[in-house]
Parts: sequence; C-alpha cells; structure tokens
Amino acid sequence: MVQEKLYLKGDKLLDISNYEFKSIKNALQIGREKTIQKIKDSDLKGRGGAGFPTGIKWEMAADVEGKEKFVVCNADEGEPGTFKDRYLLEERPLKVLEGIMLAAYAVGADKAYIYIRGEYSRAIEVFSEIIKAAREKNILNDNLFNSGFKLELKLVRGAGAYVCGDETSLINSIEGKRGRSRIKPPYPIEKGLFKQPTVVNNVESLCCTAEVMNPDSEDFSELGTEGSRGTKLLCLSGDLNRPGLYEVEFGQITLIEIIYDLGGGIKGSEDLRFVIPGGISTAVIKADDLDFPYSYQAFEKRGSSLGSGAVIAVSKKHDLLDLMLNVSRFYMDETCGTCFPCREGNRQINKILKAFKEEDGKIDTELISDIGNTIRLAARCGLGQSSLNFITSVIENYGKELKFGGKIYA
Amino acid sequence: MLRAEIDGLNIELEEKMSILDAAKKANINIPTLCYEDGLSIYGGCRLCVVEIEGEDLLKPACATKIEAGMKIKTHSKKVRDLRKNLFELIIATHNIDCQLNCLTCSRASNCELKDIAEDIGLSKMRLAPIKRGDSIDNSSYSIVREPEKCISCNRCIRKCEEVQGIGIFTTANRGPETVVTTFKDRGMGNVECTNCGQCILSCPTGALHELYQKDSVLDILNDESKHVVVQTAPAVRVAISEPFSKQAGDISTGQLVTALKRLGFDAVFDTNFAADLTIMEEGTELIERINNKGELPLFTSCSPGWIKFIEHFYPEYLDNLSSAKSPQQMFGAVAKSYYAKEAGINPDDIVVVSVMPCTAKKFESKREEMAGDVDYVLTTRELASIIKSAGIDFLNLEESEYDELLGVSSGAADIFGTTGGVMEAALRTATELITGEELRKIEFEDVRGLQGIKKAEVEIGGLKLKAAVANGLGNTRKVMEMVKEGEEFDFVEFMACPGGCMGGGGQPISSDQNVLEKRQQAIYQIDKNKKLRKSHENPYIKKSYDDYLENPGSEIAHKLLHTKYKARKI
Repeated sequence: MVQEKLYLKGDKLLDISNYEFKSIKNALQIGREKTIQKIKDSDLKGRGGAGFPTGIKWEMAADVEGKEKFVVCNADEGEPGTFKDRYLLEERPLKVLEGIMLAAYAVGADKAYIYIRGEYSRAIEVFSEIIKAAREKNILNDNLFNSGFKLELKLVRGAGAYVCGDETSLINSIEGKRGRSRIKPPYPIEKGLFKQPTVVNNVESLCCTAEVMNPDSEDFSELGTEGSRGTKLLCLSGDLNRPGLYEVEFGQITLIEIIYDLGGGIKGSEDLRFVIPGGISTAVIKADDLDFPYSYQAFEKRGSSLGSGAVIAVSKKHDLLDLMLNVSRFYMDETCGTCFPCREGNRQINKILKAFKEEDGKIDTELISDIGNTIRLAARCGLGQSSLNFITSVIENYGKELKFGGKIYA
Repeated sequence: MLRAEIDGLNIELEEKMSILDAAKKANINIPTLCYEDGLSIYGGCRLCVVEIEGEDLLKPACATKIEAGMKIKTHSKKVRDLRKNLFELIIATHNIDCQLNCLTCSRASNCELKDIAEDIGLSKMRLAPIKRGDSIDNSSYSIVREPEKCISCNRCIRKCEEVQGIGIFTTANRGPETVVTTFKDRGMGNVECTNCGQCILSCPTGALHELYQKDSVLDILNDESKHVVVQTAPAVRVAISEPFSKQAGDISTGQLVTALKRLGFDAVFDTNFAADLTIMEEGTELIERINNKGELPLFTSCSPGWIKFIEHFYPEYLDNLSSAKSPQQMFGAVAKSYYAKEAGINPDDIVVVSVMPCTAKKFESKREEMAGDVDYVLTTRELASIIKSAGIDFLNLEESEYDELLGVSSGAADIFGTTGGVMEAALRTATELITGEELRKIEFEDVRGLQGIKKAEVEIGGLKLKAAVANGLGNTRKVMEMVKEGEEFDFVEFMACPGGCMGGGGQPISSDQNVLEKRQQAIYQIDKNKKLRKSHENPYIKKSYDDYLENPGSEIAHKLLHTKYKARKI
C-alpha cells in the first residue's frame, strides 16, 4: 500500500503563540542570498499550474531595481477540481504566512498581498484572524524578530473571476481594474503591482518554501526525482471511492496507485475511461496509460501537465459530449473578453458542441481543431492558451467514437 | 545597431521597436484591427500575430519588441491559416445579416473588415453570425451606436480616454457577454459625451456613426414651400473630395458650391461669413474685457465639443467663455433675420442646413439656448453620400461662387478650420483695430502647426497679449489645469478635435496617416490665395452691421449673435 508523505498536510496550525516560525528565523539568520540559493537548490517549481522555478523567480525579483517591491500570494484557487490551497489557508495558515514572509524577505519587499478567492469565505475569515494576530504579536508591521525586516500584509478578496488566477489579471484586480491579463513583457517581476517589481507565488509554492527553509524538514528538497522535487498536494475527485486531499512524494507513486490505492478505485460498476491529471485546463490521460511515476516531466512527455494537482477520475458512465459541454461552458463564461481568439473561440466551440448534441449529426472535428489551434497559439494569456486542452484531447483520443453520433454514451 | 530577420530579409534597426513597425520599415504589411496609431497597445484582436523561430506560440507584432537575432515569419502558412480562422471568429460576432447589411453600413465604401478579409485572403466562412439582439443607442443628438456591429476592439474606448481624456466608454461583463457600453448603460446622450465624434473615426466596424439627417434634408429640398439655404464650414472644402478621389489635401470649394446648387438649395452660403462675424463679436469682447478688467482669460466658443466639455468638467470657468455664438449658430440667426429681410422672405419659410466637419454641431443646433437657428446639420460624410446618391460627378464639376450677402468671407475665416485659426484670425483683427495700423506680417506662425498645445505672446500696441491654443480635449484639459494652477493667459482657443475642425468627427474617414497635415496645408493655401484676409475688412460684414446689426456688441447683435451656457453634472 502506498503511503502519503506528510509535510504540507498535518495538524491544524492556527495558534500563532505556539508557532515557532523556524523557517523565517532560519532565513533571517543566513541572509537573503543564501535563502534564495537554498530555494534554487531545492529545485522547487511553482505549484499553481505553470511550474516556473520559484528560486529563479525570487532571484530575478531580488536583482531588479524598484522604488518598492511587492509579494503577492495567489490564493485565487479557481481551477475546477482544485482545493489544496483552500485546505492550506483554512488549516495551515501560519505556514502560508511564513511562506509569504520568506518570499518578501528574500526579494526585498516590504509589502505583500494575499489575494483569496471570494468564494472561500472560511479561508478569508481564518486568514484575516491570522493577520490580526500577527499584527498584535508584532510579527507583521514591525521589525521581525529584531531583524530590521518589516512586512505589511494586506488581504484582498477576489470577486469571482477565474481569470484572476492568472498573475497579471490578479494584479489588475488588486489595483481595482478590470480582471484581464496584461501584455507580457513586461513581466510582473519587472513591472507588476502599481508598476513595481512583483513576485506572485501560489499558496502551495509558498508553503513548500517554508518546508525548504525549515531546519526540521531538511530532507524535503531531497524528496522526489530530478526536476520534480519535494511533495505535491493532490486533490482527488471524480468517480473515486475515496476522493480528498492527499500529499505524495514526486516520482515515487504512479498514477495507477494514485487512482486505485489512494483514491480507492472507481466508484460504481463502470470502468475508468480517463484521468484529468491537473484540472480541466490539462489534456486527459487514458485509462490504459496510467503506469508512470507522478512527475512534471512524465506528464509533459504525454502532452499534458500536472497543473494544479487536481486529479479527476472519469468513468465510462459519462457522456463525453456532456463533459466537453460542461468544460466548454466554463471557459466560455470565464474568458475575460479581451482577446478575440479566446472570447470568440470558446463561444463558437460551445455553439458547435451544443449543435452536435441537439442535432445528433456529425461533429465537425476539423473546425473544432482549427479553432482550438487558433486559441492555443494566439490567445493572450495562459487561460486562453490552455482552454481547449481538455476538449481537443478528448476529440483526439475519442474522436472516432464521437463521429458515430451524439448519443452513444447517453 | 540591431540586426534581425523578417521573412528572410535581413534588416538593421537603429533602435528597438515593435515587430509591426520593423516590418513596416521592410515594406511588409501585417494586418491589424485593434491597433491604431496614437493609441495604447491593446493586443486583443491577435490578427497581427507572427511566428518567431524557436517559439511554439505566435506573438502579436504590435505588442512584441523585436530583439537582435530574431527570425520572424509574418506570413508563414501557420500564421496565414491562423489569421483566417481568427478572422472567421471575428466576423461571426459582427453580425452581418440582412438587417445590418453591408450595403447600408456607414462604412460601406471604406470597410476595414473587408480590407482585412482581402489582405489575409479569406476564402470561406464556416461560422454563422451571432445575433446578440443588442438595441441601438439612439440617446444622443449627435452619435448613434449599433452594438451589434461592435467587435469590442476597444479603439473607441482608448480614443475617448487617451486622446480626448473623457472616457465615456467602458468594457462591461465578461466572456461572450463582454460589451462596450457607457456608464450604467445610460447611452451616449446621457453621459459626459462631448459629441466630438472622434470615436467614429476610430471605429473599424461602423458600430458608431453620426445621427443621420440626410434623408430629412433630401425631403425638405423637395418641399416647394420652403426656402432652403445651406452653409458650409471652412474645414469641409478641404475634405469633401476625399470620398470621391481617395486622396487628401485637395481644395474643392468651387465644386462644393456647384454640387450644393445642383442638389437644389435655394441659396448656397458660407459659414465663413459667420466666422468673420464671430471675429468681430469675439474680438470686441476681448478688447472690452481687457480694457474693463473683465474676466480673463477669454475662451473661444466655436467648438461645441469644447463647450460641452467645459460645462461638464470646468463649469466654474463658464464666465470665461466668450458669449459669442459659434459661426454655425450665428449664421442661422442672421439667415433667419437679416437675410430674410434683405431677400424679402418670411423667416418661418427659411430652412437652414449646415454642412459641418463635426458631429457635435448636431447637438449644438438642438441646444435650447439657440434652438431654431439651424434646422439640419449634415456632416461632411453625409453630404458626400448625398452627392453620390444624386449622381453628381463631383470631381469633374465646374466651380461656382457662393451666393452673395452671406457668402463672401476673408481668409481669416478659412483658417477657422484648423487649430490656431480662430486665434490667428482674432489676432489679425484685434491688432489692427487696437493699433489702427496695418499688419506687416499677417501670419502668426507661433499658433500654427499641429502641436497639441501652442503658446504665444503677441505685442499689440503697448499691450502684451498672452495666448494659448489647444486642440483635442486631452490637451484642452491640460491647458485648463494650467489656468487652474494660475498660469496667466489673456485669450485661449480651444478646439475639441485633434487638429481642430479639419480633424472633426464628421470628416471623411481617411487611411492616410498624414491627412491632417494635408488638410491643414490646403486651408492655409486658401487663405494665402485670398485678397481679403482680415475679417474686419470683409465688405459684407461691414454691410451687415451698417444695414442691420449696428455695431459689434450692439443690442441686436447680442440678441442674435450671443448665447449662454450651463453647468452640467458629471
């Protein structure tokens, strides 16, 4: 039986009086450069979906000149199927706080924001309390542990747009602007929040940095395999007997084990058809191709991504078209409306799929693939570029079956 | 020196620039839609995407800076196929159907979308148009918005915000519901819109156009019981030929008059006459304010876009506005009084039609303070359309002269059509009236040109007059802030549109980058060619005062030629 590896997951961490802040104390002691070096050495990659190396991000931000710098904790967890950041915010907020402090200290920022998804009312409540307590304990807004490092932290509540999980859209939203992506370059590292250098890190990424810097968990960076270090929180959902949040070591568990051991196998009488490995913006992995270790590289090799860690098991009981329509509807509603390929492409895809559903006719896979390609290659931000990944992968893998008519799966 | 490769051509650049600009230098045209010179980069339409060697995703040429060593393909198969797919998506939202037919579109003869379709070699349309069912915004006296044609390229938003500094438009909603609209969907007539019409010039889809009065004018021309007179603004004569010749900068005053006569107007007059009259009234007001220590600086009042702007945003300065009506309104008032009397026509039977480079003039004609002076206002574009529909071969017309009495004008009136022109015309007259001496040099170079803000100090007799000229409402706001901060001026000319009236929102939509320079040169050329170049020397102006208006600023002049303003909310 496969075991979880518990670092990020654990007992509730809510009482600031009993929290030792070992990681930030460690960082303050060894200094900025060594802190960044340690994060770089840990080979930590961003856990929000894009997988950008955290240490390199911090190093670039530390090197860039700016009137002031900002750190933003991206807690706008919107990828369907994902609930790991919510867990961390509700149960382990002190780790999150410590991660934010680490990032701010490392890059030389004295102001930070945490942008929490508006629907996460419990998380917002808990984290507001933590900020309040930290202020009272002079952990925020004051010389931290007499180090000369001072951090202000503000909580911003999202207003319900998926696109604000994209870092530049999130920055616009904090500034009170319309939630839409910015043209890159300049990247936030150069010109982000209020035109100042800004580091945006995901909640889980920040918690991982706290593990890396914690003298009690020095082995964290040794875990996993090359290019995929540490642990990963998995959000198991879909047709599983034991859905829920799990923490696994990279490279030491296969997708089969994740589905059948951790997840307890497929619920009901139907077999597994495919797995959506990292939220609905990732391409599906077919049921007969699950025997590979869980790592960034293994998914990349298969033209997919481990994304946010939302592993969704889909059994054969579902109508593929319904699934595609569901996903398509989501993207159609959630495009910010700025760039034409994403706005109009997702609208048209939805229209085409709907017509197929109703008319029971042949699906125009060429048109879908043309539109999908247009969106992927030309959309302005990651949301758009990845919005058709699920649908095109379903059509690629199951297109032949679809051509026989819309209702064979009903 | 930066070296890169575009479409196999080696190029060398002195400085970093966008791939779009670099391609232009290499004589490569990359199609664009949401891009517009002078506006911020939006990066929404993605039509300008190009392939960069080593990168999988395509990059927008407008928003991507060229880097040394880049190998760029602007028209590879990957790019061309994508543009076609993308354009299909765009067109599907433009709702081309029988009701919004291309044939009746305001941009029928110069459709940007059609040009792009040709440029990218569009060969099929697989997507049915999407009907959104948006209702037309008819709330404004000047501008109509047809949201169903709108593709949300945001050019109007950026023009209004960045160039004009107003920002009446915004993007609302998200996803497919994303629309361009006004604050709380109130409509253009119910927000701080100045009616300048610059958005129309920016709109590539015909979703914005003037409130048409061309059909009403054609109807009234058929009404035998009416005596229909027409006036033409100074900036019309240097632009009216553009829709016919597709080139800018031609002077066609004589053809314009002939065409209007052929259309059946009973008298063809010139707004220029009223411009000369404006100089007499406004000049007198300026001299009075200086002599009597009245409210200074004096602000010009010819541009109705500017008037609505100050009423909304700087109402505390309304007393600085000249009380003189704009030339359009003065003309109407004089036509229905002085001309009616001289010609022996019942004023009730006279209908005044204006041809203006301006959409705000439509609103101005409806202002309650001056209602009835002018009955219909046509834009330059509308007149061109009428001329076409009447089968008149405009470019080959013989030239005619304006009708007398209200048709003779000085060169000072002609230059009203450009930024700096009202100032220069006023200075010509004021200087001579104050000093009693003839000007040695009639051109005031300091107030000429296309800069957004011009300042000049002019010596008149012993008096040093501080003048400023602003064109475009963005620049207007800057000058108003200077005034607010205590910078001293005596006389300031404001025109709402970039370039002044010649760049008005009612002018033909040109694809020529240098259209404003060309129109401006044409205007100065007209002035230069005239013998009569100062308003106060216009014999018909003298006659109008002698026979009817008594003196500038007289009681009757005040009744007919002056007006009031009101503070408006924001």
